[in-house]
Amino acid sequence: MAETAVAEKAAVKAEPLFGKKEKKLITDPLGDNNPITIQVLGICSALAVTSLVVPSLVMSVAVVFVCAFSSLFTSLIRTKIPKQVRMIVMLVIIATLVTVVELMLKYLNYPIYKQLSVYIGLIITNCIVMGRLEAFAMANKPWRSFLDGIGNGLGYGVILVAIAIIRELFGKGTLFAGSAVEMNIIGANNGIVEYWINTAAESGIGSWFSWYANNNLMVLPAAAMFIIGIMIWIQRSYRSHLVDIS
Amino acid sequence: MHSTNYVIMFILALTSLVAVGLTTLREVTYETAEMNKAIFNKREVIKAVADFIGLEEGQKVGDLSDERVLEIFNNDVKQVVVDMDGNVVDQQTVNGIYKGGLAEHIDMSKEKKKDEKERLLPLYMFSKDGKTKYIVSVIGSGLWDEIWGNIAIEGDLNTVVGASFDHKGETPGLGAEIKDNPSFAAKFKGKKIYNDGMMALNVRKGGAKDMTYDVDGISGATVTADGVTEMLQRGIKYYNPYFSKIKSSGK
Amino acid sequence: MELFNTFIKTAFVENLVLAYFLGMCSFLAVSKSVKTAFGLGLAVIFVLGITMPINWLISEYLLSENGLFGMDLTFLRFILFIAVIASMVQLVEMIIEKSSPSLYNSLGIFLPLITVNCAILGGSLFMVSRELDFANSVAFGLGGGFGWFLAIIALAAIREKLQYSNVPPALRGLGMAFILTGLMGIAFMSLMGIDPSIYTK
Repeated sequence: MAETAVAEKAAVKAEPLFGKKEKKLITDPLGDNNPITIQVLGICSALAVTSLVVPSLVMSVAVVFVCAFSSLFTSLIRTKIPKQVRMIVMLVIIATLVTVVELMLKYLNYPIYKQLSVYIGLIITNCIVMGRLEAFAMANKPWRSFLDGIGNGLGYGVILVAIAIIRELFGKGTLFAGSAVEMNIIGANNGIVEYWINTAAESGIGSWFSWYANNNLMVLPAAAMFIIGIMIWIQRSYRSHLVDIS
Repeated sequence: MHSTNYVIMFILALTSLVAVGLTTLREVTYETAEMNKAIFNKREVIKAVADFIGLEEGQKVGDLSDERVLEIFNNDVKQVVVDMDGNVVDQQTVNGIYKGGLAEHIDMSKEKKKDEKERLLPLYMFSKDGKTKYIVSVIGSGLWDEIWGNIAIEGDLNTVVGASFDHKGETPGLGAEIKDNPSFAAKFKGKKIYNDGMMALNVRKGGAKDMTYDVDGISGATVTADGVTEMLQRGIKYYNPYFSKIKSSGK
Repeated sequence: MELFNTFIKTAFVENLVLAYFLGMCSFLAVSKSVKTAFGLGLAVIFVLGITMPINWLISEYLLSENGLFGMDLTFLRFILFIAVIASMVQLVEMIIEKSSPSLYNSLGIFLPLITVNCAILGGSLFMVSRELDFANSVAFGLGGGFGWFLAIIALAAIREKLQYSNVPPALRGLGMAFILTGLMGIAFMSLMGIDPSIYTK
């Protein structure tokens, strides 16, 4: 993997491959053409894993990886793929990459693998991946498809992590729980008052907010629906051309 | 349009490429993955005796390095497999399916599907400073899916000294609190299992009434809490034949 | 009776969309009118009902340690499951096209969409992780499909009514659909913990 990445970086330098159009491929999905809030793709996993930030980050990385490389591979063999079975071929490519992710997670970090369990498999049916293959990679050159994959994966990841931050902060009062940099930001941390007082005294910031009681609504998957709904509301209030007329 | 032959060849080539690639990757990663899994499970077991393994102030079992977990396991933990009649099962009696009669080779969810009489029970014995704690594994059903746990019991075979729980798919923030909220497992410390020979340890919704045997439930997660009670009462009972043998042998 | 329980449980208590939030993309995209929602819902019941038993057979007789190859091939299950789903969808499409052109016209466009409906693959993966037996996996498939069908019709009906309400412009359409689904999900949570088996004992 590292070798291909290096090779591609070299390719960027050799030719002016990273022009305006290419940049747009990456930035567009982050805003006006966001896969979650505009294209309505890949919602399922967005809801399931976002109760904590760490699994959301891992999920985002996995989706960026799968999205980018499935776009690359599909685009490489796009002229060879028989039209009758192209859906199956795409799915095989995606499923292979997802299996790679699953095996690597088991290899590198078993606890995270346990946490994501079924939802790793669901990357296969994450409509973002499939949608971009069908809409972009089948008709474009490998390098641009690769960028498009990264862009859409990132656009998905940004929303995912944003939802997770809101949900974890207000739902559990922590950030990055389960990792080395776990922080208790607000609230009495699930009733472990003594532990909380210690950390608050150390960090000094949290003591202002120790009155906060965790909001269990935020932990429920439904909260993710509300947050996405409100995000769409805010985004469309500022960008009126995106408003759904129907 | 491509010809049918081309389509078939293409699919065959793609599938074999993918199959070979994935199998290779799996073979390469398999051993480490299995190792990670074993460490993950051992960490869960150790969580039940977290108070006795000499953690530093503020340190959690989750923070221990993999090497330390293995070290504790190899030095201080003895593991046996017992059957429902209280006999220790070793290699010969089960046709070598469970290598060396080690508790860590027992797959709890496979045991759950067996007939009750034929189940095998993993038992870990944690010894430090001349005192032995017995760690039993129990499995049951929560609201959505399986829940399981490890309960550490004092040498008197009646006092709980620690517990750890896990689940497959309980609702985060509600049922999942049995795992996510360390204070739930901590509430089990010091509770007694038997009241006059009867199983009395339980999780009570609406708050514990009898502090000797009751553990506070989790608000909004009645089904999971009832599942925990059922799992504990049934699961610990399985070990009774073995425990009475230990008691009668005067250890 | 146990099968009936599984059916009711997956359809209502453990509704794939409203409790697990699976199959969201097409759920939100195709719920603008009851008529189209009806078509997609039927197709989902159909495909879930077929793929679940097939995937059960595959995981039991091909992928498990006691299966045909005698080794643990579970790491290949994603690929096989999705291949089964994709080919089943294509097969169903062809059969419907031949046998009932009118049904094909109303369903046709939704069939390819179903391949990437997380509820279908999710259902199969749940089936594996819950270790259901064959009959139960059929009931699980049909129940899951029926629950999905009910949920999408309910949402479509609400969205049709909403056209006459005064929703802030920026929230119209998608934004409102998200919030509605969240509310429906919370409403469905009250069904959690109902155990149908106690009525049949």
